[in-house]
Amino acid sequence: MNKRYTTLGMAVSVSILVAGCASTPQNNQMVDEAKAAYEEIRTDPNIARSGDRQLRSARDELARAESLVKDGASTAEIEHAAYLASRHAQIASEQGERAELQEQITSAEERRKELQLQMRSSEAQTAQQEAQTAQQEAAELRRQMEAMQAEQTDRGMVLTLGDVLFDLNQAELKSAGEATVGRLADFMAEYEDRRVRVEGYTDSTGEESYNQSLSKRRAEAVQDALTDRGVDRSRIEVQGFGEQYPVATNDTAGGRQQNRRVEIVISDADGNIKTR
Amino acid sequence: MNKHTSMLGAAGIAGIAIAIAGCAGSVEPPTGQKQTAESSIQQAVSSDARNFEPILLNQAQNKLADAEELMDVEMTEANYQRASQLLEQASVDAQLAGARADTAKAKQAVNEINRSIESLRQRMNDSQ
Repeated sequence: MNKRYTTLGMAVSVSILVAGCASTPQNNQMVDEAKAAYEEIRTDPNIARSGDRQLRSARDELARAESLVKDGASTAEIEHAAYLASRHAQIASEQGERAELQEQITSAEERRKELQLQMRSSEAQTAQQEAQTAQQEAAELRRQMEAMQAEQTDRGMVLTLGDVLFDLNQAELKSAGEATVGRLADFMAEYEDRRVRVEGYTDSTGEESYNQSLSKRRAEAVQDALTDRGVDRSRIEVQGFGEQYPVATNDTAGGRQQNRRVEIVISDADGNIKTR
Repeated sequence: MNKHTSMLGAAGIAGIAIAIAGCAGSVEPPTGQKQTAESSIQQAVSSDARNFEPILLNQAQNKLADAEELMDVEMTEANYQRASQLLEQASVDAQLAGARADTAKAKQAVNEINRSIESLRQRMNDSQ
């Protein structure tokens, strides 16, 4: 390095002597380009911060190129210095750009982290709300079932319409029975996925076939009452069991009355009903 | 007149250079520049310039190879000077290739993170 500077120094002094009788040196296009490249980025704060070393190298090489021009050095030598100056300026400019990108990355990462936190808390909130809503809905369902006096059995919720809601040996519902069916219709309007199976039963008095048919007709009467209130027929199954499945003894009047009944089995939330 | 002057100047410089080279005793090969060029190329490669700036990296590698050849051929001042220039250029070419590769990677990273922010936003909007 030292040697080069010494050489340069001597070359300068010699060329000054020579230049005494020379006209002004010609401009070199590569030097002009290098100068333009350097001037363009010289005051860029990003480059000053992160590409400073390269910027200084660009400046030094440019100064060398210019002094080589002044000294009338060979074109190859001038253009070599100009080449280095241009390259250093380009590298500085890349480094400045990268520093800017790095800042963008940092701030974007912060933003992403914030968003992730926000999302997690809003997800937790939503989950909590959903859980709450589900609880409320379950409570409401229970309340409505209780209002209908439905009982939880191993077949699901079962609503029993007692014998007194029908006329003796008749399939017509009394108005007290209509009221119960009305509540069931309201319930089914609200819970659209629920279905019901209406099952008719009798005591063991009389002909079995008659009892079978009476139980079926009573069940159908309930079905009609429900469809009259807007419940779709496809959501209602009907079955007459006759004397089967007594819930009490047929030997006493009270027991027989208990056996004469219509049971309405309410499906689960997916519309499934357990069969007998 | 001009040509005459520069020729004179060149002769002067050459004369002094020869004089100095004479004092030094022997011609020094540009070993330092060669090392710098090699490590610049290596760094560019590890910045994945092979992928992002293959042409410029190749240019640097060719200049290094040309310089090595010149240094092998004959130990003359002219050869060494030319080799030294090639090595200096190889260094800055490689450094620029590496710097451009780094910038390109940073740009990709910015795009990637912005995309993931966008998709987070979308998911948040959808869930609301």
